[in-house]
Amino acid sequence: MEHVLNLVAVHRVTDGGVSLSGTIRAVANGDRDAFSRLYADYSRMVHAVLLGRVPRRDVDDLVQDVFVTAYTRIRELREPAAFGGWIATIARNRATDYLRQSREQVELPDELPGGDPIEAETFAVLEVIRGLPEAYRDTLLMRLVEGMSGQEIADRTGLAPGSVRVNLHRGMKLLREKLGLET
Amino acid sequence: MKDDYLWDPSSAPDPEVERLERMLGRLRSNAPAPDLPGRFAGKGPRYTSARFLVPTLAAAASIVAMIGLTWQTTRGIRSWEVSRMTGQPRIGSAPLAGTGRLGVGQTLVTDAASRARLDVSTIGQATVDTDSRVRLVDTREGHHKLALERGTLHAFITAPPGQFVVDTPSATATDLGCVYTLHVDEDGTGMLSVTAGWVAFEFNGRESFVPAGASARTDPRIGPGTPRYDDAALELQAALDDFDYGADATAKARDLQLVLSSATPRDAMTLWHLIARVSPADRTAVIDALDARVPMPASITREAVMRLDKAALDQWWDALGLRDAGWWRKWKGPYPADVK
Repeated sequence: MEHVLNLVAVHRVTDGGVSLSGTIRAVANGDRDAFSRLYADYSRMVHAVLLGRVPRRDVDDLVQDVFVTAYTRIRELREPAAFGGWIATIARNRATDYLRQSREQVELPDELPGGDPIEAETFAVLEVIRGLPEAYRDTLLMRLVEGMSGQEIADRTGLAPGSVRVNLHRGMKLLREKLGLET
Repeated sequence: MKDDYLWDPSSAPDPEVERLERMLGRLRSNAPAPDLPGRFAGKGPRYTSARFLVPTLAAAASIVAMIGLTWQTTRGIRSWEVSRMTGQPRIGSAPLAGTGRLGVGQTLVTDAASRARLDVSTIGQATVDTDSRVRLVDTREGHHKLALERGTLHAFITAPPGQFVVDTPSATATDLGCVYTLHVDEDGTGMLSVTAGWVAFEFNGRESFVPAGASARTDPRIGPGTPRYDDAALELQAALDDFDYGADATAKARDLQLVLSSATPRDAMTLWHLIARVSPADRTAVIDALDARVPMPASITREAVMRLDKAALDQWWDALGLRDAGWWRKWKGPYPADVK
């Protein structure tokens, strides 16, 4: 019975009012609508995790890879409440694989902004965030790129709200310093 | 407290954080959920207490898998076969070795050394050249759609008109039964060149009907440019580009005059497109130029053309010998083999 999902102690509810455990059980039974709900709820978090690690041009493709992997392996997830952390780990591992493969192939510039100075500034700030410690980097990207609130970040990642608040606060402080905004 | 805004975006905003949000929000993605493989059928028993059942279940799983494979192969509804031609194309981030399937929502990527071929369901083929990126948006009976984000795609489509559509950043190409090449640059500008049949090129209501032997540029600022035959005089083509995409009004007026004065009867297709693209002040000159190459039908009036009356424009289009406007607009009726 190791692969049977433990659905007992899960109380978290997805945005549509359906419990996370119910959604995951439905996905495990091949329900594509349930999968779409999971994607809607968690794709921004996965996008942020990948954006902090790999070139932007490949992030959308890797997000799709991560969700297909999650779909095919979802019966390995024993605790539905851990889904957020689980899929974030898949995303981090996928980014590591990607970077390993990329090193074996031709090196390309990380980002190729056009001549637009605003676009160049955006990529410059992204590069600074990528240089922050992992906990700050992921949390800040979820907040500043994906527009997630602190509570949403806590809900999706499984982190304690207090930890998210600290990560946001310290991450923003570091970012301000590196951008020369700190007075 | 300013950091409250970091936690709760609905609280009093911190201008600095707001600015970062606006800037970095551009990196957000709206990519659709991936199309999923049908994988759970026959995945195996969740309860394995009866050991003797395993061979039976394995056989059943094989049968289900075979049925699933046959179903996918014969129906091919949600994915297309893609074949490596040269180099190392990728589907998403996965290298393509030999052949594979491109699912709805997935992206085929080629680098400077790789090319790939797509089987467009059962209606044709598309070759994806080097340094290209193309996403399968949708595929179902009677409707197949790609998004060419950058690079070059050669399409050979045998389906009835209107079934194969390619989105680009600055125009949508709808196949009207034909062979064509579509190219998109990094900045979203592009070029459509039609070898056989016709392609309708459209963006925000601005249409170009491009026949065989003709091309049309496209640009995110205005959409599809005015189509012209590839064998048109080079000075006419250059003036047309400047007219379509130039910013200097004086230069544009000069370019328009050059187009009108150098157009041949074969360029009537170009002049017809210009009627709706020029200002009312310049429209009289365009009407005169077209009238001199292909006389205005007696059934319509200059006034109707001046006010861009659709029926009048359609009747003049019919007089160009490029099939009737109803076929163009509705993409119905038999393949017009009488038109070269």
